[in-house]
Amino acid sequence: MKTRRSVWLAMFLLAGVLLVFGANRGGGPKTQQERIDSLTSNLACPTCSGESVFESRAVAAEAIRSEVARQVAAGLRTDEEILGFIEQRFGGQVLLVPRADGLDSLVWALPVAVAVFSLFMLFSAFAKWRDNRPSAPSNDDELIVARALDERES
Amino acid sequence: MKSKNLVKFVSAIVAVVVAMFFVVLLVAEPDTDMVARSPLLGQPAPAISSRTIEGDPFALERRKGSWVVLNFFNSTCVPCINEHPLLVDFADAESRRPDGAELYTIINDDNSESIRNFFDKNGGDWSKITDDNGAIAVAFGVARVPETWIIDPNGVVRLRITGELTEGLLGRQVDLLREDFSS
Repeated sequence: MKTRRSVWLAMFLLAGVLLVFGANRGGGPKTQQERIDSLTSNLACPTCSGESVFESRAVAAEAIRSEVARQVAAGLRTDEEILGFIEQRFGGQVLLVPRADGLDSLVWALPVAVAVFSLFMLFSAFAKWRDNRPSAPSNDDELIVARALDERES
Repeated sequence: MKSKNLVKFVSAIVAVVVAMFFVVLLVAEPDTDMVARSPLLGQPAPAISSRTIEGDPFALERRKGSWVVLNFFNSTCVPCINEHPLLVDFADAESRRPDGAELYTIINDDNSESIRNFFDKNGGDWSKITDDNGAIAVAFGVARVPETWIIDPNGVVRLRITGELTEGLLGRQVDLLREDFSS
């Protein structure tokens, strides 16, 4: 039983490590166009509904796309800084992927908290069911069964 | 029993959070103010430079020392057309003051020829600034026109007005800011 639990624990740990590693792994050097496409895919068109700057042909989206292209070509700002520049001008609603700080971090933290809480409740429930399993029959139980069998045969 | 209490506790928290959302939805009023918020308010104006439709250079930074009003404009946008007579009146009134504000039109997604025709027909002899690729609009976070921005003589952004101007609004706001600035 203990071994099985250790195996599950090891598997969860390994999955967690791989997830963290995968999420943080750099994609290698990007071309300027790839950077522009990636940045504009993460920005919402301020005058459309549900379209990114990358997809939209709206005037405002085209202006933002040009500005992103200009800043990428200048090479003076990182991707984070470029997104920050656009966010500072158009507000936080322009970011399609919410930031992981301040109140916005709740968007990331709440699902994890709910998942952890749910797992905890599940494990608690399983543990309770295991504890409530019928134990080995007592002498009285065996006596009752023996009597019942006798009555059936007679 | 313990887990029952926990379930009750969690349910109570969820109920409180949901109730709070409803309260916020009921209490919150839509933002209908023409004077709009912007992270740029109180900050130095973006360093923009471009050219007028006549080809003269324009650099916002060099306008320090004067009140500057930037009006983002497109000659086919109906609210822009509607507010134009108010801008003509405003420019006229300001030109008679020693500390009068300088008005500039920032052309948004429009060509110089249309702008020239519009102003020839409707009046307005202030400078019209070209905005290639919308760089000035992005620098100010302008997504829709018309928008009007007021910049003080120190080059600090003081006010943003979104949408069509109403009678006397721009003049009143500039006067208020001028009073505040000189006190």
